[in-house]
Amino acid sequence: MKHATHSWWTGIAALALVCAAVSFARADQDSPFARANQEYSEGHFQEAIKSYESLVASGQWSANLFYDLGNAWFRVGDFGQAILNYERALALEPHHPEATANLALVRDEARALELKRTPLERYVEAGTSSQYSIAASIAFWSLLLLVARLFFARRRSAALVSLTIFSTIIFAAAVFAIYSLETGSRGETLAIVTRKEIVARLATADSAGAVLALPPGSEIKVLSQRGDWVYAALPNDLRGWIPASGAQRVRL
Amino acid sequence: MYRSPFKHLFVRTTAVALTFAALIGSARADEPSVTAVLSSSEASVGEAVQLQIQVKGDRNAGAPSEILVDGLEIRSTGQMQSFEMRNFNVTSSITFTYSVVPLRAGRFTIPPQALRAGNNSLRTPELTLNVTDSPNPTSRSNRAPPTATDPRKNTFAELIVPKTTAYVGEMIPIVVRVGFEIQTRVRNIAPELDLPGQGFTKQKMRAAEGRQTIGGKTYTIVTYKTAIAAARTGPIEIGPVEIPAVVLVPQTQRNRPFPQNPLGMNDPALEDFFNDPWLGGSVPREIKLTTERVTIDVKPLPPKAPATFAGAVGNFTMTVDANPKSVQVNDPITVTAKISGRGNFDRVTAPVAADDHGWHKYPPSATFKQDDDVGISGTKTFETAVSPNERKDKIPVQVFSFFDPAKEQYETLRSDAIPIRVEGGAAPAAPAPTAAVTAAGAAPAASAPAIPKQQDILHQLGENSGAPQSFAPLFARRSFWLVQLIPLLLVVGYIALKVRQTRLNDREARRRETLQVEAAELQRSLRRDDTPSHDYFSRASRAVQLKTALARNIDPNTVDADLAASVFQTDEATRLRLRHLFEKSDEVRYSGSGQNGDGVVLAETRKEVLGLIESLRV
Repeated sequence: MKHATHSWWTGIAALALVCAAVSFARADQDSPFARANQEYSEGHFQEAIKSYESLVASGQWSANLFYDLGNAWFRVGDFGQAILNYERALALEPHHPEATANLALVRDEARALELKRTPLERYVEAGTSSQYSIAASIAFWSLLLLVARLFFARRRSAALVSLTIFSTIIFAAAVFAIYSLETGSRGETLAIVTRKEIVARLATADSAGAVLALPPGSEIKVLSQRGDWVYAALPNDLRGWIPASGAQRVRL
Repeated sequence: MYRSPFKHLFVRTTAVALTFAALIGSARADEPSVTAVLSSSEASVGEAVQLQIQVKGDRNAGAPSEILVDGLEIRSTGQMQSFEMRNFNVTSSITFTYSVVPLRAGRFTIPPQALRAGNNSLRTPELTLNVTDSPNPTSRSNRAPPTATDPRKNTFAELIVPKTTAYVGEMIPIVVRVGFEIQTRVRNIAPELDLPGQGFTKQKMRAAEGRQTIGGKTYTIVTYKTAIAAARTGPIEIGPVEIPAVVLVPQTQRNRPFPQNPLGMNDPALEDFFNDPWLGGSVPREIKLTTERVTIDVKPLPPKAPATFAGAVGNFTMTVDANPKSVQVNDPITVTAKISGRGNFDRVTAPVAADDHGWHKYPPSATFKQDDDVGISGTKTFETAVSPNERKDKIPVQVFSFFDPAKEQYETLRSDAIPIRVEGGAAPAAPAPTAAVTAAGAAPAASAPAIPKQQDILHQLGENSGAPQSFAPLFARRSFWLVQLIPLLLVVGYIALKVRQTRLNDREARRRETLQVEAAELQRSLRRDDTPSHDYFSRASRAVQLKTALARNIDPNTVDADLAASVFQTDEATRLRLRHLFEKSDEVRYSGSGQNGDGVVLAETRKEVLGLIESLRV
């Protein structure tokens, strides 16, 4: 009798699990992201872009979302928007392999210009801002603990002093790396030219002298904004004014 | 014949003295009189005329009091004294000058003004001034000859256009010249002008000042330069150009009713001096100079333009260089093309490669260095980054086309092929059957390079991570700082623990120090022979307790003979001796034996006890 009751409860539990799994799968299929992917796979790229954009507007940002959106923009031939969204995917996940590959390909197609990176910047870009933040945090608290230990120790051993110096160096290096990343060419002021026929000019006027023609997808670093114009650091170590509507910042 | 110099001097001095006396006498003899006159009886609103009141026969006559006429602004501009001699009849006079500016139209009467001349009271005649709303050219032309106060008399303005036929896009230098005769003082002139007209591109013209002699007269010349480019065919009209200026107008006139030379001498130099218009002050007047209108007939460019023609019209030369000349495949090479000459540089675009097969080309950057004031002539430098996709031995020939209006035909410039060395990568592919000559700025179909085969992007990713991600760097997020509370608490806890331990250690150290001091004191007292016997054994047992407590860091009051023996791991005989010592101590303490004055402890006993205590070692 007892055995029969146990089997009955086991069956109910299994049925509930199956129902939950089916329900979850159906909900996943009905999600806006899945619908957008479906539209993309059916070749309805404009509809897919609208669906992806609605997700972006709702703040449900993810590297894969921006990556897929970049693909959709590429399919409709807008290289500037494609590069912008690949860059956004990489801003969220710096080591996103698909976004890295597609970005290189689209950049080559668009002949987009890239900002020049200093050797130090390239070296620092081996890590991400989050990794440096964690390293700085660990080094800082270790440093505090070691200083406290040194303060209370009867004998200050060489190992303790060495560890303290090492933590100080790690902390300073991590803070410097964060500063370099945030203010460098891939920092928060990075923007991508998204409109066609954008020409950087010497002054805030369409008739001003041209500095550099910027193909869609080119990188710029926004330095300041005046009305409808932004003053930006350009590839080839140039600087100039471009219409504010001609470029979008990578970080939202 | 000798003539005494003294006699000659006497004669001349006497003659001069007599003459001077006669002059003074004559001057004093005349009765004072007054006259008043306006430089013009007609004027327009705002146009200044001059009022002069002259008193003859008294150089010390006082000026009339303030002259007030409703509708006229009358201000004193100065006074001048003069002598006039006619047939040895010398008269002196003083002239008071006023500026009269009509504030509204109408007929105005300047009433007689009272003056004091010595003991005489004089009155000026009544004067009438007719004021109109605006200058009447007809009436002005009927006046007496133009005077120095008419500022337009000594000025000119001209629009200089070097040619009357041109091609669309051809740059035509334009000069507007404005001249002011040197004595005309220009207070202000437009710093820049806009060239009126339609059908051509134009820029603001900026003023430059200089001097030039024209027809024997020296002029201050203000020159405005620009260059235009016709944007459509057919006749286009340029001008007339209006140049506003403010000049200072002198208040005296050459045709004033007074004697032009008070001394009555016909000396041109003196006449110039007394007729200097600036002696009487000046007033600013705004004038507007206008040039003629010029028509240019604009012709269209001939048909059959080269594929590389992008709209450049003029006469140009081109030089091309490339750096570095030795690279790896896909490394960038900067191709620098300098296009120099004269023409519409805003339409001069970068030269294009005659064959860009196997090359990746980036958009060029351009800089322009002009050699003149208006940007017609100069050098435009293009820097184009190209990278070879395969091994190459030369930079492609660069091609630039323009229309030469002088020759009336298209010209195409071709650079030499610049040898380079490209290492790595695949061998160069066979050249394309037809050279893909592209034109920057030309039709997109013509400029689109042949794309070998477009690579495809990677697939879509169907997984979307659950939690939304943020662009904010980790250190800028609140969660990051909240997590920092954990190590903060750890560090604070560690420091608190250490502080507590330190305090405890300090207390223990002080306790041990106290015990050590007590033990040392007991040792010393046990060595002394004056210690009473009833106190000696209790001190000895206390010394053993202290020694044991210090060795094991325990409370000395808990130490007995067995514990001391086990702590110091003594032999059985020592253990018995310790027991005996503690029993002796207890016996003395509790039974009171030995307190009745049985003296001090024997030296032998003392030695034995001390030996026992010192033998206790860990």
